[in-house]
Amino acid sequence: MARILIYLLTLLLAVVFVTPLVWMFIVSFKPEGVSAITIKEWVDFSDLTLRNYAKVLTESQILTWTWNSLVIGIITTVITIAISSLAAFAFSRKSFKTKGFWFLLCVSGLLIPTEAMLIPLYETVLHIQLMDNIWGIILPSLTNPLGLILIKQFMDGLPKDYKEAAQIDGCKDLRMWWSIYVPLTRSAMISIGIFYFIMSWNNFIWPYIAINTEENMVLATGLPTFLANNVLHVNTIMTASAIAAIPTMIIFIILQRHIVQGVAMTGVKG
Amino acid sequence: MKVQQRAGFRWKGYLKLELSALAFLAPFLIPLLLFYIWPLLRGVWISFHSWSILGMQKYVGLGNYKKLLTGGDFFHYLWNSFYFVLLIVPIIITLGLLLALLVQRKIPLQTTFRSIYFLPYVLSVSVISFIWLRMFDSKNGLLNVILDTLGLPTVNWLTSPGAAWWSIVIASVWWTVGFVMVLFLAGLQEISPDLYEAADIDGASAFHKFRYITLPGLMPVMKIQIFFQIIAGLKLFGQVQIMTNGGPGDATNTIIRYIYVTGFKKDMFGLAAAQSTMFCLFMLLVAAVQYFFLNRKTD
Repeated sequence: MARILIYLLTLLLAVVFVTPLVWMFIVSFKPEGVSAITIKEWVDFSDLTLRNYAKVLTESQILTWTWNSLVIGIITTVITIAISSLAAFAFSRKSFKTKGFWFLLCVSGLLIPTEAMLIPLYETVLHIQLMDNIWGIILPSLTNPLGLILIKQFMDGLPKDYKEAAQIDGCKDLRMWWSIYVPLTRSAMISIGIFYFIMSWNNFIWPYIAINTEENMVLATGLPTFLANNVLHVNTIMTASAIAAIPTMIIFIILQRHIVQGVAMTGVKG
Repeated sequence: MKVQQRAGFRWKGYLKLELSALAFLAPFLIPLLLFYIWPLLRGVWISFHSWSILGMQKYVGLGNYKKLLTGGDFFHYLWNSFYFVLLIVPIIITLGLLLALLVQRKIPLQTTFRSIYFLPYVLSVSVISFIWLRMFDSKNGLLNVILDTLGLPTVNWLTSPGAAWWSIVIASVWWTVGFVMVLFLAGLQEISPDLYEAADIDGASAFHKFRYITLPGLMPVMKIQIFFQIIAGLKLFGQVQIMTNGGPGDATNTIIRYIYVTGFKKDMFGLAAAQSTMFCLFMLLVAAVQYFFLNRKTD
């Protein structure tokens, strides 16, 4: 009996969680003015239309924004993982006097979030003339200390024999990193990488400030401009949200296992 | 002579090691110095000036800090952010734990449930804000329609000051509770099944097992989570900016939005930099408290 009740609770919560998303998709296919607030309207498939989708795709730059988010996400992720892995290699496998100092400096980034330094960051990026430019978004988000710490932990866990064997073979550091340590930490880096991609994709406040022409915007910051121009078009707003939601939802469904693993890693050990 | 040579050799050896290590660190350190350390210092510098984006600068010493500490606004909005933290943290931690406990057992559709609870987390803040803007609509929003159908009074979610905060809390919990759940799930796996078996043999009740095995076992994850959520709550900006624009009136304006408006809307960069610096100090204080709590008893 208790088991059934618990199962019903699980089911009920799942319904509550999924309802806003289902509603978003239904409203996005309904003609303007139909809010789909009754069960009857939900299951009435006769008035579904693609007109909202056509409107959003032609009248807004949503595809450009999606493309920008994709480009920024991929570049940010690849560079972040690469430089974190290089630094982690040095911290994990090299012995040098000033190690402690540099490591503290690198992880100090955990203390103060971007949100708390918007003003001087704006001034800096303005100064090097990267405002309204995708590199102005990418460069400040490269040095996330979390990935560095996690990859270092993974490398710490690897047996030292690899290093010794490679040294006997006369392997130079950079080749050792690339041909031994990168492949051995690959699965960890993929999980962290996907997590970074989602973080970059959902990054809001900095692109919101640093980009002001519509064609350079990312999805997260382009949508609010769309809201401002279409306050009265309720269904169209939901269509735009649905289009913006679809890419990450697909990525999530395909890469679920990696994503959940990545989140668990960043949170439990971080 | 010989000793000197040796020392020189050793010194050179150290230098070589340092340089070869630094070569690996440089790609990480350069952006760190340029986009983290430098802006932090620069922010302190700007905060001592009356400064506008167009480049008008005048040294005013501690003037900005004086203005900030004597006017009540800064602390008012800091309190607003803190108020949000007080509302959301207990809810998100409890619900996250509940969801983790519900989906950790082998039940039909276990992974489907887990995915559904987690799914909102992968959406961007704009998408979730749009969805909830519509959900909270006083006439055509799903929430009020449901309340009405159940015979309950409807709520002006986004336009009455008290309810506006709860609207932001509900949307934020729905968005990120899946993250908390996943971390608790990972924490649950660390607890040895032997403990439960032993408890079963002793005939312990489900509640006792939860109270004396599960909860203590989850304590490390719980502590990390609480601080993580406090920091995330203090950073609140996007949901407020899109859903309420700080309103109604000024009720849901947060410290980050306040700094944003001071700097970018009112063009008072110097004052905004002083606010940022104060906020950074506050975050450092939170980090110090966190360090103290997490390292007090590590057994």
